[in-house]
Amino acid sequence: MRLLLLVYILLGCVYGYAQKPLDSIQRLDEVVLSDVKLKRFANGYKLIVLNDSVLKKNTTSLTDVLRFNSSIYFKENGYGMVSSPSFRGTNASQTGVIWNGININSILNGQVDFNIISSVNYDNVTIRNSGGSVQYGSGAIGGTVHLSNELDFSEHTDHTLRVGYGSFNTFNTNYNFSFGKEKWSGNFGVAYVDSENDYEFIGLDRRNENGQFNNLDINLNLGYTLSDKDVLKLYHQNFRSDRNLSATIVAPSNSRYESEDYRTMIDWVHAEKSYKSVLKAAHLSEQFKYFENKDLDIFSKGQATTWYLKHNYERKLTNSITTTVLTDYTTITAEGNSFDNPKRDAFSTTVIFSHQPNNKLAYNLNLRKDFISDFESPFVFSGDLSYELTKNYTVKLNASKNFRVPTFNDLYWTPGGNLDLNPEESYQIDLGHSFTTKLVEFDINTFYIETSDLIQWRPDSSLGYWLPINIASTKHYGLEADLRFKKEFNNHKLLLVGSYSYTETEDVERQEPLIYVPIHKANLSASYNYKSFSAIYQHLFNGEVNIIGNTLKEFQVANIGLSYNFKSNSKLDYTVDLNINNIYNTYYENVALRPMPNRNLNMRLTLNF
Amino acid sequence: MNTKKLLLLFLCVGLLFNSCSDDDDNNNNEPLGDYDNGILVSHEGNFGMGNASVSYVSYDLSTVENNIFNNVNSTLLGDTAQSIAFNGNFAYIVLNVSNKIEVVNRYTFESVATINTGLNNPRYIAFANGKGYVTNWGDGFVTTDDYIAIFDVASNTINAQTIAVEEGPEEIVASGNSVYVAHQGGFNQNNVISVIDANNDVVSTTITVGDVPNSLVLEGNNLWVLSGGKPAWTGDETAGKLSKINISNNSVTSIDFATTEHPNYLAFENGKLYYYMSGSVYEMDDSSLTLPTTANITGVNFYGMTVNNSVLYGVDAVDFVSNGSLFAYDLNTNALINSTTVNIIPGDVYFN
Repeated sequence: MRLLLLVYILLGCVYGYAQKPLDSIQRLDEVVLSDVKLKRFANGYKLIVLNDSVLKKNTTSLTDVLRFNSSIYFKENGYGMVSSPSFRGTNASQTGVIWNGININSILNGQVDFNIISSVNYDNVTIRNSGGSVQYGSGAIGGTVHLSNELDFSEHTDHTLRVGYGSFNTFNTNYNFSFGKEKWSGNFGVAYVDSENDYEFIGLDRRNENGQFNNLDINLNLGYTLSDKDVLKLYHQNFRSDRNLSATIVAPSNSRYESEDYRTMIDWVHAEKSYKSVLKAAHLSEQFKYFENKDLDIFSKGQATTWYLKHNYERKLTNSITTTVLTDYTTITAEGNSFDNPKRDAFSTTVIFSHQPNNKLAYNLNLRKDFISDFESPFVFSGDLSYELTKNYTVKLNASKNFRVPTFNDLYWTPGGNLDLNPEESYQIDLGHSFTTKLVEFDINTFYIETSDLIQWRPDSSLGYWLPINIASTKHYGLEADLRFKKEFNNHKLLLVGSYSYTETEDVERQEPLIYVPIHKANLSASYNYKSFSAIYQHLFNGEVNIIGNTLKEFQVANIGLSYNFKSNSKLDYTVDLNINNIYNTYYENVALRPMPNRNLNMRLTLNF
Repeated sequence: MNTKKLLLLFLCVGLLFNSCSDDDDNNNNEPLGDYDNGILVSHEGNFGMGNASVSYVSYDLSTVENNIFNNVNSTLLGDTAQSIAFNGNFAYIVLNVSNKIEVVNRYTFESVATINTGLNNPRYIAFANGKGYVTNWGDGFVTTDDYIAIFDVASNTINAQTIAVEEGPEEIVASGNSVYVAHQGGFNQNNVISVIDANNDVVSTTITVGDVPNSLVLEGNNLWVLSGGKPAWTGDETAGKLSKINISNNSVTSIDFATTEHPNYLAFENGKLYYYMSGSVYEMDDSSLTLPTTANITGVNFYGMTVNNSVLYGVDAVDFVSNGSLFAYDLNTNALINSTTVNIIPGDVYFN
């Protein structure tokens, strides 16, 4: 398949197609975006898009961005350490992470650590609450987070250089280059963060020990217009992270964790008037090394490689009806200290029927079936609709069946790997109301989720080791409210973005709420801009959570940021940022016995040229 | 149902009488602290989560106080309480992940000292010649750095000198100035007992026993070693083995289990040995040359077990995230006397 693409590239060069701008908006989407169906077949879903400016305010990790800007709750094992997201009380392996349209959850443990995703190298991050297995596959149960790179073909050449330094010897820098010229578009980004991370534990007369980390993210994306109907795109990312794993209040640590991810994808879009075809071919590689003693060269490791081929065929049947057929083929191999050389082949097919009878009503019906070599996978489906009741009020509804396949650790870990596992299953429904006026956007969603056959590792005393079994089932219900208020007068701009979530959960077997799920979580971000000056205040309230045999106290933490933009006569402009995190110097723990940073400062200089 | 209740009542009354007669034996003995005259249950808690604890339970299991170290000292005990050792009026709680030993008054549980240097993955302690001997795995994945740390009992300070030993030292017992270390093997599997001379703190000899020696019982001149055998998942499954070492000449006699039998938690009282295997408890006479074929107690799920005053105490860690349970069985009738809920992941039972 890659050969075929190569042939196409060559042909494109030989014939030298005229680079006519693509006119229709939909086709423009196809060119610019990497994950078109996120926008197009999600009428009944709440989508929250974090754009460039929000993402680049925080240059350390995606965890920091999302915990102040979304209803996702994070369990962070100390600052900069493993960070697990949770949507609506589901867990990290029930959260799908989608990189330019494809699922990048770990093959080994099913999760994505949000502290090894850099926010600065993406053009936007979209949060899609609710299950999305039909379109995004295994693990998209509570919600999905979409990391997207866009390609801008308009004539431009932009450079951005940021250099930041802050408390705990935290240094971060990144450089982005973006260009568009004739048939080409591209961007290149490199981001590096390094921190001693030895913050004080407030009131404890000691510091965070063994918390040093650094990470490097390299991104390269290229687009080439083959013809006015064909675009070829390349996405590449390499993320390397080297972290010591920090101590807890009661246990020292001397361990270290190294990880490296490579993601490469070629994307060929062919758009006709009546149909579109998108072919994606990707190679994903993940690997880790765990050093129990960072001073020794003795480690355990794991590695997985995925080859991925996906075809998306979208046909317009009438002016209001579109059908899409997605097929994908995946082959995965892994190796490591804890298993032999497992292999998985998977094939899936999805059909989407999309109908917009009038300009008020739109609905989509989706069906999907996976065929996976190592076990039986369920048939899943979803339906969603949006109906505009008045100009300012839209009702959204979605319902779906979702699944999560057992990870390679679950199936093949020695000892314990259990080949008799079934995929986890989940049913859910989500009803949303969306109110929009010139000043205010307000969304309120209520949801109900039932999951069954949840995989948990349990000790088996007769075998003498732990093994995963399909044992637990859970129920979740709750409400989310999101508010966005925007007001401009003269040169003053005010923006308020807030969200609140109420989440009740039950472990059906134990008849208890789940651990590490706050019933209440709220966050507010207020930003003010006057000419070249801007200021932001962020506040997070994280309610009490249950932990094993105990509870962990609620906490509130807030940040402020000040920024001034200096313009020059040339193209160069520069911005100076000052951020104070945890301004009230609050002691708080995200995960028990792992205090988070005290008040800290960060300064940054940004050059655009 | 009624007959069961009656039986339970009868047994409780029986136990009351027993405890009464015990009291009579120790006439006029005022309790030496809140936690005198009762059971101490050590709880590992969840690995890495810092919720290790000790519970105090009355002998009749009617009262339970969890987290006694935290309650008395207003501070957390630490991470993963592996074992408790006793010497004089002191209890030494070994916290595996915290790399420390909390020394407390065993009756009041007031903190006396914390030993937090010179330890790396500490497991168990034995006392000889005025010194505490602590088994340490070193780094779990390194097979050559295992050692015995030594501390001075009078000052609770660690000696600079350590004794390098084979992979995976676990349980440890002392007889006079001879210290015996069972090498269970840590994350691997080992099959030896190291003998340490407490006069000069060197390994004087090693004795080969079954694979994965998991429990030691010293009775007079006999050191009983129960080995679990290598588990099936290793791909090299071996049988459990019960060995008797005559410590006057280190000669070994042993009885093999079947290849798929992996016993654990050896206990001894009144000439009888007790062990746990696959959900059952077995009893055998210490002079028997064969293993028992029928179990005394069945349908249990023990994570630790011991015997005291003809009562067998077993702890069940359930699913490792719920509160565990403590069970008491009358060894004369093998009937359940009582049970109670304790804390997260109970590991061992001790008597105060």
